Amino acid sequence: MAIISQIQGTGLGLKRELIPQIQSLYGQAQLANINFVEIAPENWISAGSKAAKQLDWFVERYPVVCHGLCLSLGGPSPLNVDFLHQVKTFLHQYQIPVYTEHLSYCTDGFKGKQGYLYDLLPIPFTEEAVHYVAQRIRQTQDILGQRIGVENASFYVAAPISEMSEIDFIQAVVTEADCLLHLDINNIYVNSVNFGFDPHAFLRRIPGDRIIYSHMAGHYRQTPDLLVDTHGENVIDPVWDLLEDAYRLFGAFPTLLERDNNIPPLSVLMHEINKIADYQDKAGHRFTAFHQSPELLAG
Amino acid sequence: MAELPGFQRYQLAFTARLRDPHNQPPLAGVPDERMAVYEEIVFNNLFESVSACFPVARSVLGKRQWLKLNQAFMRDYSASSPLFRKIPEQFIEFLHTAETRLQQQLPPYFTSLCHYEWIELSVASAEAANIEQTHPDDDLGNGRPVFASTMRLLSYEYAVHKISPRHKPRQPESTRLLVFRNASDDVKFIELNAVTYRLISLLQNNAISGKQALTLLAKELQHPQPESIIEFGLSILEDLRIQGVIIGTHD
Repeated sequence: MAIISQIQGTGLGLKRELIPQIQSLYGQAQLANINFVEIAPENWISAGSKAAKQLDWFVERYPVVCHGLCLSLGGPSPLNVDFLHQVKTFLHQYQIPVYTEHLSYCTDGFKGKQGYLYDLLPIPFTEEAVHYVAQRIRQTQDILGQRIGVENASFYVAAPISEMSEIDFIQAVVTEADCLLHLDINNIYVNSVNFGFDPHAFLRRIPGDRIIYSHMAGHYRQTPDLLVDTHGENVIDPVWDLLEDAYRLFGAFPTLLERDNNIPPLSVLMHEINKIADYQDKAGHRFTAFHQSPELLAG
Repeated sequence: MAELPGFQRYQLAFTARLRDPHNQPPLAGVPDERMAVYEEIVFNNLFESVSACFPVARSVLGKRQWLKLNQAFMRDYSASSPLFRKIPEQFIEFLHTAETRLQQQLPPYFTSLCHYEWIELSVASAEAANIEQTHPDDDLGNGRPVFASTMRLLSYEYAVHKISPRHKPRQPESTRLLVFRNASDDVKFIELNAVTYRLISLLQNNAISGKQALTLLAKELQHPQPESIIEFGLSILEDLRIQGVIIGTHD
């Protein structure tokens, strides 16, 4: 059982492959920097008794956060309210205090159904889209009875119809929805290369007081100007520089390592998690909503 | 589409292209190589999920036809579950509802084979129902046998469990199987003969004891010596208990 203020320090995205290693090394100093773990509700809701036993094990030992993949906040089909109620039940059942989703869409409403495409697709940055997405975030928060965080997504295609920059879009959406921000440091970098902008300038315009926690990850360099957000490589130096800059700007917010593909042994991942912890130690205290205005989190 | 906001019209053109890159037009102002990233990752995600669940179906169909079938799944099917785990189940629904022309290109046993391969995944992740207290060691003749909550009886027109690229059935062969998850959470299949299948269905659908079910069965079979059916049937039930299919009895 966790409460939101326990989401602190450094964490790890929980992959099934890593579970046996975490369970066998639990309590040892080498895992000391796993302060919280993140799961995708889509992978754990009604996943059977074996998964439920594993999840019980983690919930008893770690604060757990939920990071969704398929809510389709920007999708043209109606918000899947049945699924959202399943998420709500799941969050209550396991006492999970945080739920975040992506600023993207994964449905197209094909043939009058949801039409899940199971990937994160880019929302065109238009005025109408801002209102549409913000309204769906509000609807989500109303159903869950708590604020959610939305993550800046990585993408590969800039919509020619976009009317504003990505950072303007993010600012407008989180302000209108009055939600939290789940900051993905790697995604800022990936997009800065894919669309040729300065990631540090982007970072300076992030509404830091809304950051609930952040992601660090590696990516695949397909060509010099096209990075693909695979979560299958080590974190590269320019992304570490961005993290350092973000901590300098906003204080050391909780940060979690994502590794979804090409997963090395846990000990190798711990090097990166420990490195995040080092950056946090070097950074100053955090002056954000998290400490200053608990009401922002209460929903 | 005219009444939709511009950003949604764009989104629908975008996803139409993802669903059918070979026939839908490219989007104006979007570089092909960038769009190709999405075309690949979205299709590959789906393709890998489906392929992982149906290794035998994939191998009997051959690479090229399997790819074409998955492209049709991407193009024609509207998935309604946000859970990745449900993709294979939705693939089966797609096979059931696919247009006749596509169905005719598939072997007659194909959908059954896919169902058989999917059921393993389904039973592996099925929620275990809360079962009222049972007596694990009591007599199966006088008590009402209780089955593992994940147990399912399966009946196919083809011997789906024997299919491989080297063994593609030419004729239908009525096949009955039982699938369940044992106490160690392993999924097990047991091939059943028609009589055992009937015995288990009788017990599953009626609140009766082992002996009552066997007496009914002997009548159905018009067996001259019902006692021998009862004796033989009880040994089958004992065997099912040893294997973990029967977990005990109710009074």
